[in-house]
Amino acid sequence: MTVHTRHGDALDGALAQALGGRLSRVDGPAKITGAAKYAVEQQLEGLAYAVLVESTIASGKVRAIDTVQAEAAPGVLQVLTPDTIISLRTASDWFGTPPPDKPYCPLARDITFSGQHVAAVVAETFEQAVAAAALVKVSYDETPSIVDLSDGKAGDGIPIDAMTKEWGDAPAAFAAAPVRICAAYNTPREYQAPMEPHGLVARWEGDHLTVWEPSQWLDGMARTYAEWFEVPFENVRLVSPYIGGGFGSKALALSHGAVAASAAKMLGRPVKLVMTRQQTFTGYGGRAATRQTVTIGADRDGMIQSIVHRGVNETSIDGMWVEPLGSVTSIMYATPNFSSRQNVVRVNSVVPGAMRAPGENPSAFGIESAIDELAYVVGIDPLEIRLRNYAEQDPHAKKAWSTRQLREAFAAGAERFGWARRSPEPRSMRDGNQLIGWGVAAGTYPVRRAYGEAVVRILADGSVEVESSSIDMGQGTYTILAQTAAETVGVPADDVVVKLGDSRFARAGVSGGSRLAGVMTGAVHKAATSALDQLVGLAISDPRSPFHALQANTLVVAKGRIGSPRGDGPDVSIAELLKSVGRDRIEATGDTMPANSTAEDRYKNYTTIAMALPHTEGDYSRYSWCAHFIEVRVDEDFGTVRVSRVVSALDSGRLYNPKLAESQWKGGIIMGIGQALLEEGIMDRRHGRIVNNNLADYLVPTNADIPDIEVISVGIPDPHSSALGGKGVGELGIVGVAPAIANAVFHATGKRVRDLPITLEKLI
Amino acid sequence: MRDFSYLRATSTDAARQAAALPGAMLLAGGTTLIDLAKCGVAEPDTLVDITHLKGLDRIDVSERGATIGALAKMGHVADHADIKSRFPAISEALWQAASAQIRNMATIGGNLMQRTRCPYFRDPANFSACNKRVPGSGCSAIGGVTRGHAVLGTSDACIAMYPGDLATALVAFDATVHLGDRRILVDDFFLLPGTTPDREHAIEPGEVITAIEIPGSAAARRSTYLKIRDRQSYEFAAASAAVGIEFEADGRTIRDLRVALGGVATKPWRARAVEAALKGKVLDPETVRAASLLAVEGAVDHGANHYKIELAPRVVARAILKLGETA
Amino acid sequence: MTKIPVHLDINGQHHELQLEPRVTLLDALRERLGLTGTKKGCDHGQCGACTVHIDGERVLACLTLAAQAEGRSITTIEGLAREGELHPVQAAFLEQDAFQCGYCTPGQIMSAVACIREGHAGSDEEIREYMAGNLCRCGAYPHIVAAVRQAAQEFAS
Repeated sequence: MTVHTRHGDALDGALAQALGGRLSRVDGPAKITGAAKYAVEQQLEGLAYAVLVESTIASGKVRAIDTVQAEAAPGVLQVLTPDTIISLRTASDWFGTPPPDKPYCPLARDITFSGQHVAAVVAETFEQAVAAAALVKVSYDETPSIVDLSDGKAGDGIPIDAMTKEWGDAPAAFAAAPVRICAAYNTPREYQAPMEPHGLVARWEGDHLTVWEPSQWLDGMARTYAEWFEVPFENVRLVSPYIGGGFGSKALALSHGAVAASAAKMLGRPVKLVMTRQQTFTGYGGRAATRQTVTIGADRDGMIQSIVHRGVNETSIDGMWVEPLGSVTSIMYATPNFSSRQNVVRVNSVVPGAMRAPGENPSAFGIESAIDELAYVVGIDPLEIRLRNYAEQDPHAKKAWSTRQLREAFAAGAERFGWARRSPEPRSMRDGNQLIGWGVAAGTYPVRRAYGEAVVRILADGSVEVESSSIDMGQGTYTILAQTAAETVGVPADDVVVKLGDSRFARAGVSGGSRLAGVMTGAVHKAATSALDQLVGLAISDPRSPFHALQANTLVVAKGRIGSPRGDGPDVSIAELLKSVGRDRIEATGDTMPANSTAEDRYKNYTTIAMALPHTEGDYSRYSWCAHFIEVRVDEDFGTVRVSRVVSALDSGRLYNPKLAESQWKGGIIMGIGQALLEEGIMDRRHGRIVNNNLADYLVPTNADIPDIEVISVGIPDPHSSALGGKGVGELGIVGVAPAIANAVFHATGKRVRDLPITLEKLI
Repeated sequence: MRDFSYLRATSTDAARQAAALPGAMLLAGGTTLIDLAKCGVAEPDTLVDITHLKGLDRIDVSERGATIGALAKMGHVADHADIKSRFPAISEALWQAASAQIRNMATIGGNLMQRTRCPYFRDPANFSACNKRVPGSGCSAIGGVTRGHAVLGTSDACIAMYPGDLATALVAFDATVHLGDRRILVDDFFLLPGTTPDREHAIEPGEVITAIEIPGSAAARRSTYLKIRDRQSYEFAAASAAVGIEFEADGRTIRDLRVALGGVATKPWRARAVEAALKGKVLDPETVRAASLLAVEGAVDHGANHYKIELAPRVVARAILKLGETA
Repeated sequence: MTKIPVHLDINGQHHELQLEPRVTLLDALRERLGLTGTKKGCDHGQCGACTVHIDGERVLACLTLAAQAEGRSITTIEGLAREGELHPVQAAFLEQDAFQCGYCTPGQIMSAVACIREGHAGSDEEIREYMAGNLCRCGAYPHIVAAVRQAAQEFAS
């Protein structure tokens, strides 16, 4: 999609346009007028509609699929089953691991979870496809399923040695500690629930496939489609102009995509397939259910001597998902002795997936609840105990923090929240029937880094164009890349056009793990610098240039005009200069990959996550940080918890656009409120099926659940984390919210809830 | 959604005739019916659209009471000045139901016909056993996920909770349903599941709800609807109470009391035992809390919904005490 | 089932369609008329993304049959801006950054316009309650409240 900044908010002045300015979302006008076309809204001639049929058992085999009635239904074009769908090849995983040389069938014969795709119906209209799908009769041979972590058949699971982190002698130090606490913390299955359901439109032209699909990773998904259908990577085009929310769930090509693209190929017509809201609960994985035990040994002053942490998360029967539960545990506090280990347990579920801050989110719920418990045991203020155990360097990597403004976050948040006025005893603050509690917790997320690429063009009219196959799902990519290019070249952001969301553009890696802004501002900065150098070079050296006679070493470009640094000599617009030297454009591709990178390296960099740069590479450990201060009101009779006040101070390094970063932080905090109080996949244990698979029963927060939220930026530019000094924004805000709320609930009620969500029956 | 034919009724009589045809269903706001058709629960052959009928959306309020046309929208009734002043519990029950959009679609008559939110009832593809859908097929909810299910009025055949708010307030104030010329108390209009949970309302084929009528009373004038739920809004009740009160001249002794429960029973649940226990008593917190426990006399839980038995009396007590405070 | 003629008045324009009676207004807008500004989030009245105005009142297009809307005046997000001029609510959403991914946004805006018109934007608390039928998973709620408050004040002055 092409977004013209010049349609931005008229109220934004020149100051807002600079990098770091509060420029309004440049893709905003399209979104608020309904003009923004999301992927599946493309209008195509001859479009047919596909609807999935899903398994109603959690474990077993498909005995037979009776398609007679469905095939005879009005408008039906084809019914796909494992027997009739074309055979695909297995694709590599997101690390690029070469796949086993075996066929891949996106429709299942062997059922490993309830809600697995077993068939699909394609018809002329959506209504016909829906009606016919209900006529497909599937019979099964059912076998016992493993429902969840608490299932007797689940066992202890598989140890994941790569997750083990140990130093000192944690068990011995724990045994010797004068103060010891030990508790188990559980989080349920949670779902990303983006407002736009997953879906796609697939169209084949010969052996070229175009897929319009909401995507957090066009090139990664294109690679998967190419491998499934055994066509060259270049033959697959992914288009994803706008994405209606992803939160981790739209990064990978999924089986429903394979079904739709297969149907399009078999039918010779474009096919649209959109999951129903119900199907989105099993069509891909949400956050895995987790269990952690956290034991802390401390001295009587609350100084931590030992942490022993054990974690378990669910994965599926035939897939592997590791939710790194020791990620925050191992770095948040200084401790001389530490041990963290993790297992995964196979259950009959769709393979879990990434959901906002995978790993750090549940990890923080464990350690940030546990240290709060310790605070009460030793009688120290929950904020004070965090400061006493402040980690001055990365306790695990034993490296200096690149930047860690967590102390500043605690200070700023506490000041703004009025923490000093807190009455320390639980149940000591109330307003009528409302018990009031104040809780604090910290959060963190690693700075995930990768190499990026972008094309920047300076066009004949003096405007600047940026191209990348990265995406904007609401983080503000269109906007901050316009600001980056504008500032680098020296034009107003109004004169920058940003094109994203098409895999024909310069390649881009995954937009996940809060890495996009750092990667892409770096790439755009590099490409724009190169374009600027070309422009200035032309101005100095081209005999037709008005600057030729000046014999200058350099020139200055600002506000779209070129002049000498001293202000003498000519002053011309970029358009005039290009005209005078007879050029209709300047184009530069910038990438931040090592100079000796091969074509194979580049392909790997943009289509896998294998080349991501470790956040502890070199001399530094790189993280974003935050501190949440939250007030809850708990009705003493009803057990209902309402969040009434939130102050969060966050260190995301330099902010490229504070207006948009604040929105993302608040969004994370709000999702955290949902996680703490509402969100939980509820299992029918007899059927192995999540029964609240809809937005009336899987409760996400409404507007009425959310108070005003104050966010404070305490970040400073971090040169070790990204080219322009930013760290991560998108995931950070949610990390620590759930424990801050649980801690506030304890302060309000004296009840410690260690199983999310904190619903009313746990408090009455 | 299975295909159906669409018929737009031009008069109430025409609607009545069309509705009597086999496979025909009346379509008003559609917020239950279209939803359930998409779930595969409702499978009408013909939908008879009555939303274009004239004159069935009147709201008449006087000293004697209120008569509300069946096609009046929930949102309009909620915002009606006289309903707010003379029947606050009715207005409050309405504005706390669903969302503003749904309240602009859903009609008062249609709202009485709202079906349960039982997840097993709503998902025929996955749960074939449901006595409400298919008599004799069994109940998938018993032994399953029951957090939202009823604790009062249940049977071995069905534990589905009645989810509506308005009707809870209506039964508290002895409202009647007009089915053309036939009148029936709202309390009698809703049927207990017993052995026939498929039959939810005392309405015969060919009958059309034309209005509801709520007698005016001092208790209705001093009334409230308290709805407790996990989420602050846009959710069905975990437990709710419609309460109206009238004091003697001393301002403390309860002359008249109306109590009905929502979110906990298989139908809107009038708590007459609470009313009887408190009539003639002086309002005081302890007395009220003790009497409110009678609201859940005979309640039976199915595990995860046990909290409703604890919660419902507290909701009742809070609502009564709140009305006392405004004395 | 045979299709029936359905005449729809949308954003002041007349449309003649041949539709099966079961086609919802939402699918008619999105799949037949190319009016994709109205979004499908749940298709069951649980999210508010499909909010449109019928005869000036906010309703859900996913639970409205297209045939039912015949004879009514329908307004969608595409019909809100007049002659290229943003509606004050749209402008306020942009200024307050009251959205991120943008998918719930048309529904939020249609709901907000009606919320103000209904007189339900008198306080932040009232705005929150009367905007609760529009879910936003990006979590723009505080900014949505600010935008509705701002637009309501503009209308009032």
